[in-house]
Amino acid sequence: MKAHNESAKRFEQLILPHLNAAHNLARWLLKDAVAAQDVVQESSLRAFAAIDRFADGNARAWFLTIVRNQCYTWLKASGGKHYVDIDDEASMNEHDILAVSHTETPEVLAAKMQDAAAMQRALETLPGPFREVIILKELEEMSYKEIASVTEVPIGTVMSRLARGREMLKKELLAKL
Amino acid sequence: MNEMNCKDCAAWLHPYLDNELEVEMAVRVSQHIATCAECKAKLAEMQALCEGIRNHVPYHSAPELLQRRIMSKINREKSFSTKKWIAPAFSAAALATSVILYFAIPSGQDMLVDEVVSSHVRSLMEQHLTDVASSDKHTVKPWFAGKIDFSPPVYDLKEQGYPLLGGRLDYIRHQNVAALSYKRNKHIINLFIMPNNASDSVIHTTSKRGFNIVSWQKNNMAFEAASDLNKQELEAFAQMIISQH
Repeated sequence: MKAHNESAKRFEQLILPHLNAAHNLARWLLKDAVAAQDVVQESSLRAFAAIDRFADGNARAWFLTIVRNQCYTWLKASGGKHYVDIDDEASMNEHDILAVSHTETPEVLAAKMQDAAAMQRALETLPGPFREVIILKELEEMSYKEIASVTEVPIGTVMSRLARGREMLKKELLAKL
Repeated sequence: MNEMNCKDCAAWLHPYLDNELEVEMAVRVSQHIATCAECKAKLAEMQALCEGIRNHVPYHSAPELLQRRIMSKINREKSFSTKKWIAPAFSAAALATSVILYFAIPSGQDMLVDEVVSSHVRSLMEQHLTDVASSDKHTVKPWFAGKIDFSPPVYDLKEQGYPLLGGRLDYIRHQNVAALSYKRNKHIINLFIMPNNASDSVIHTTSKRGFNIVSWQKNNMAFEAASDLNKQELEAFAQMIISQH
């Protein structure tokens, strides 16, 4: 009984403060409000069950790692409808990104960047591996190291995904003029 | 230090933007940008994009209901695990406790017998066997009137070899009781009589601290005969008393 209370206390202190970050990540990865809540709830219960095994450290990164894995599990289970495999990254042609980089005026791009709806649509079109690093970087203000921990890839991969994700986002914004 | 070209600068542009570069590399990037309008424009563009994301992309905070749902699930899990593990443990503990209590705490009857024996011993030690020394039941019985709120049966069994010595007031189980003393050869018998609501019962013999105690119940009174007399003779005494009233 005491152990359970201590676990609940630890959960409240370590995990609960990151519930918004968890929900935001899940919402952006799943693009489904109901699924996001379900996945965050499931992730929370998993985090609670494992809280005793969590040594002191970055609770947010630890929790978001669980949330992210649960998101991809959900995406796979949902029939691959929303799922973009990491391997798709290789198929994306870098020339496509570079091709548009100098074709539009900065004024048009600047206007698009102020358009919340356009930004959201553009971000949603990005494949998951690029979308998630942008969400973790810009909305959670995580370091490369933290993002690497959550997404379970090397820091160099985080760096290249962020660079390419931003270029893709820019291309997307300009493509929907 | 080599001057950075545009290709290298593009490779480091994002970590530069994100403040993830070592100081030395960051200095090199900034030096290149200061002299290259194209890379400077590229950096400004990406800075604007990132600001656009931070300022205009919706942040999906967790609904308040979700947190309550999670906490109630966790608390339910708590009660679930309580049911699963603590409850059997608790009942086992409770059972163990009740077993301990059963053995450790004497029953009402045990405590009564204990007090009876103590009172019997005290009456012998303090030479305070009787308040009213008389072998006449007609003297002893009235003596109790007004001292206790019940009327104990008093019989002289001299003819049967158990002469009445007298009576006194005693205090057992938080109440005043009548104590009658009898003698059997050289043994003293104390017969304690106290009112209660139990139904009549046959005699029941126990022994404690070397004394025999014969208990029975009749006419809403509990009888406890205590003596160092042997069990057979004490039980015979008890049957005589019972047969008298």
